[in-house]
Amino acid sequence: MGKAAPQTRSTSFLIGTLALLIGLAAFPWFGPPVYFVSLLFTVFMYVALASSWNFIGGYAGYLSFGHVAFFGIGAYATAMMMKGLNLAPFWTILSSIPAGGVAAVIAVIVGYPCLRLRGPYFAVITFCFAFVVELGVKNLDVLGGPEGLWLKSMDLPINTIRAILFEVMMIIMLMAVAMSIWVSRSKFGAGLRAIKEDEEVAQTMAINAPRLKIQAFALSAFFPGMAGGVYAYYLTYIHPDIVFDVMISILIVLMALFGGGGTWLGPVIGALILTLINEGLSTFVKAELARIIYGGLFIGVIIFMPNGIMEFFKGVGAKTGGALRRSSGQARHKA
Amino acid sequence: MNATLVIQSLISGIMMGSVYALLGVGFSLTWGVMKVIHISHSAFGLVGAFLAYTLLNWLNLDPVLSLAVSVPALFLVACFVYRYLIRPITKAKEVIVSSMILTFGIAIILENLMLLIWSPDPRLLTTSYTSKVLILGPLYFQYPRLVGFLMSALGVGVIHFFLKRTHTGRAVRAAWQQPDAAQLYGVSLQRISLITFGLAVSSAGAGGVGMALLYSFEPHSHNLWLIYLFLVVIVGGVGNVLGTAVAGVIIGVITGLSLAFLPYQWVNLLTFGLLMVILIIRPEGLFKGEV
Repeated sequence: MGKAAPQTRSTSFLIGTLALLIGLAAFPWFGPPVYFVSLLFTVFMYVALASSWNFIGGYAGYLSFGHVAFFGIGAYATAMMMKGLNLAPFWTILSSIPAGGVAAVIAVIVGYPCLRLRGPYFAVITFCFAFVVELGVKNLDVLGGPEGLWLKSMDLPINTIRAILFEVMMIIMLMAVAMSIWVSRSKFGAGLRAIKEDEEVAQTMAINAPRLKIQAFALSAFFPGMAGGVYAYYLTYIHPDIVFDVMISILIVLMALFGGGGTWLGPVIGALILTLINEGLSTFVKAELARIIYGGLFIGVIIFMPNGIMEFFKGVGAKTGGALRRSSGQARHKA
Repeated sequence: MNATLVIQSLISGIMMGSVYALLGVGFSLTWGVMKVIHISHSAFGLVGAFLAYTLLNWLNLDPVLSLAVSVPALFLVACFVYRYLIRPITKAKEVIVSSMILTFGIAIILENLMLLIWSPDPRLLTTSYTSKVLILGPLYFQYPRLVGFLMSALGVGVIHFFLKRTHTGRAVRAAWQQPDAAQLYGVSLQRISLITFGLAVSSAGAGGVGMALLYSFEPHSHNLWLIYLFLVVIVGGVGNVLGTAVAGVIIGVITGLSLAFLPYQWVNLLTFGLLMVILIIRPEGLFKGEV
């Protein structure tokens, strides 16, 4: 019985998840209020962002405080591709893939020198990097400068466009989460966790820390780049102040840590809860007041839940943690 | 002609730099002594600037005199913030990371309070001497910058004197260099942290008034100021007061010179790029960290 119970639980969990996902995917086609479509779209986006931040911040312990840079780079890359290649609007959805590629390439270039810095210095340099990119974009007239860019929309009814982009964002989210699950169980993930524990020791155990860190950083920039492209398309208007908002950077960190960094489920839960709270707040109270409460939430999370909300879900946490420990143990054994 | 321009921008650079130094000294101390990266430092500076603005428009009080009100007020607020928000996290394993997120939360709260109270319009401190200029030969000195310079030089001097010459100041340095040994000699780390934090936040208020004498400001300005803080502290060495002062002047001179020769919007980009380069080459700062 002890053995059979988890088996059935995980099967029913799988079926439940599948049903939920199909339900979510079908949702926008039934003509629900726009508000809920937008809300879910935002939830998907933040789940994707927090999960991909987790590769470098959660697994490897390198806290990037400027992840919005990759989001914004993706948005601008998409916009430029639409303009430069003069694609038919519908095909521009696919341009979010090269947009993610652009973000990943920039992450490799920037990560190479920056990932040598540790602890607070890495946090500070990534924080600055986001500002540098934002200022650079504002200064380049090709990219619309401080006025931003308008994008051509698809030649379809607005609700259909929303529904299509909703599906695309959902796919990006699923890809990011699937990648996160894979990383948490792979040798790659075990190497990143070893780096987080003790980088010197990891190096002596034949873990190529610089290479793993760059790979994780590029991976964690790829999905935000894609999400940024789709987001740009959803808004049909991009402005440096919106797609490089420093608040997004910090939100991503908070979501991942709130849920519990270093596990795949943590950022998903953190992003879900905090996005819902944020959207709920900004619907019911004045924007400034909503942000004040949100700021209070930052403080509350750090003071009362330093290890993330996952600590409260001990059962789930222990399960993932156990899987991680097992896989890292295996990897070490092989090495 | 060109030489005059260079000297002129050097001078205004030094004046701006001293203000950056005053704003940065406290940030450097909290980072060095308490291992807390205080993101809301610049937001507290902005509160000082807005208080000065209100007192100037209400009572026609000079911005420098307004410090008599804002410095003690900020000290009290800082004590409260330290006791109830910072102290609970100082025992955590990753103080620096937790402190960054926590104080970012404080910065959001302050920013939105300022938005509610003062609205998002850009403000200027318009005093009776705002447009007055002191002319010495071919050089001219704008009075607001001169006032900001004198105030900042005095402020940094006072903090330096406090750390080097007073009993409490020595305890602060001891707590930074040898926390355990300092405790054996009867230094209470919590009391020292409280004093450091209070001092840092109130000097931020003074630095904020200095910044307001140089530039226009609005409730979002603290993000930009924050980058200057990082720049000054990284260049000057974490916890090093004199290093911070020198770094402030260096950054000020670079800004001053680039303001003279580059279009305005490229200046910040240059400064931030510089910070990234310095971080990569020499993360421990150009000067050794030392209180």
